Amino acid sequence: MSGVTPARHALRQDAVSSPAVIGELRGVSAAYFGDIHVLQGLDLTFNAGRVAGIIGPNGAGKSTVLKTFFGLLRPLEGDVLLNGQSVARTPSHAMAAMGVAYLPQGRSLFLDLTVEDNLLLGCWPIRSHRRAVRSAVQRALDIFPSLHDARRQSAGSLSGGQRRFLELARALLLEPKLLLLDEPTAMIAPRFAAEVYAMIRSIANEGVAVVLVDQNIRPCVEVSDHIYVLELGRKTAEGTAQDLQTDDALRDVIAGWLEVRGG
Amino acid sequence: MTALLPQVLINGLIVGAIYGLLGLSLTIVYGAMRVANLAHGDLVVAGSFIAFVMTTQQGQSPMLSMLVAFIGVAAIGGLIYSLALRRLQNSPEPEIASFLFFYGVSLMTGAALLFIFGADTRSVLFQFDPISFRFADVIVSHARILALAIGIAIVAGIFFVLYRTIYGKALRAAIMNREALLVVGVNIDRLSLVAFAVSFGVIGLTGVLIGLVFPAFHPFSGLEFTIIAFIVVVLGGLGHPVGAVVGGIIFGLCEQVTALYLGQSLGMIVGFLVLIVIILIKPDGLFGRASWNA
Repeated sequence: MSGVTPARHALRQDAVSSPAVIGELRGVSAAYFGDIHVLQGLDLTFNAGRVAGIIGPNGAGKSTVLKTFFGLLRPLEGDVLLNGQSVARTPSHAMAAMGVAYLPQGRSLFLDLTVEDNLLLGCWPIRSHRRAVRSAVQRALDIFPSLHDARRQSAGSLSGGQRRFLELARALLLEPKLLLLDEPTAMIAPRFAAEVYAMIRSIANEGVAVVLVDQNIRPCVEVSDHIYVLELGRKTAEGTAQDLQTDDALRDVIAGWLEVRGG
Repeated sequence: MTALLPQVLINGLIVGAIYGLLGLSLTIVYGAMRVANLAHGDLVVAGSFIAFVMTTQQGQSPMLSMLVAFIGVAAIGGLIYSLALRRLQNSPEPEIASFLFFYGVSLMTGAALLFIFGADTRSVLFQFDPISFRFADVIVSHARILALAIGIAIVAGIFFVLYRTIYGKALRAAIMNREALLVVGVNIDRLSLVAFAVSFGVIGLTGVLIGLVFPAFHPFSGLEFTIIAFIVVVLGGLGHPVGAVVGGIIFGLCEQVTALYLGQSLGMIVGFLVLIVIILIKPDGLFGRASWNA
């Protein structure tokens, strides 16, 4: 199954033009229980039409970046900006309506509801426009034929890969401007993983700013336009995928924590 | 006595439908918010007392009483939610914390009713016309027919909302995965407030129906209804709406049939025995625990 229609590729943005900044973290520090600072003065920028890959060892604060952006964690210092406006105090449930889609690590589906109902709930911010909801759900089912066939089944009956497609389909329903992905290929079969990366690329090509947190460095670097390397809540390196190949300093950084991880 | 059986079965069905409604509001509050409402029965009795004031004292119709009881008890629910629920849910043991909190609400409700109405037994008096209907050998009072019809309509309405609207689906989704609801943009707090208030409104309305069907009640009748509601909910499967209704009807039928053959006092005991047998065979209740399938 190819989850992407050819029309999506046609929308590919010119890679040379300078892309608009969609999301920004400015000097953000964050902590879970007030004592351990998981993020320490972090500056990150997420551009339209670009995939920003965030890599780093376990406990580097990768997932926390996404949680902080989505409002699940309040920054202690610094600011979170969406289209230039501060969203540091915006509650999470308001983020979807503002064009931010978030795919948390692990399960974010309602397993006892049908595939169709899972998509329906993804339309919550536009729920009063019944026709728009119907056409959004239909569009998602058209893009993902395997979900269309399973639309009356419970989400719990889907395979791991299909569940991930359902989560992606739901995240894309409202045509977000910024897509936060936390380990989107964890726990799914390799053939599905390749499809997910292809899809991430084409989503970005449509103009969406994609933030990709990933443990799998090679595919992450391949799909990303810009890489941020985090360690203990600080940004230790950044650059394009090409920089990563050529820049010795950057390579050393990654080799360093790969050793620590035993990877 | 066999001649009385059809009569008793009809009564069992009516009482059972009301028990089902009793369980339904309890199970929704438990399922969606993990709150064990120990004050359930007392708020039901509060609804019965609203019916007493409206009909017996003011001479108003039972239908108007239902509206007033719904709004009144829903307002109490909204108040309780706003004051306490968020704190209870954030506690490390939300179920125990809410259990104890609602025990307090139960005592306060009973005491408030005692303070206002005294300890006397009261009943809902309203002159229906005709006073009863006769179907072959079975005589059913107008009040009970009305209670059954309203009960069925409310249950149907609740099921429609739960299974056919996005709000009901979101509420069912809340029990499956609360964090994911945030991701799709649901303001869980507001959704829970509305669900909580509406469930409490249904509790008040059930109180009016109970006032119509049962001969009398007093400020401390609440505990009995709380116990029945919990039995019905456990019988059907904790947090399962269909289970609550089916559990209510089973319990109502058992109680009424036993009362016919073995006497009134054994009615509840047999109901408990049925519960024990079902729990022995199916520990999660008839419909399993809180899966809220479509």
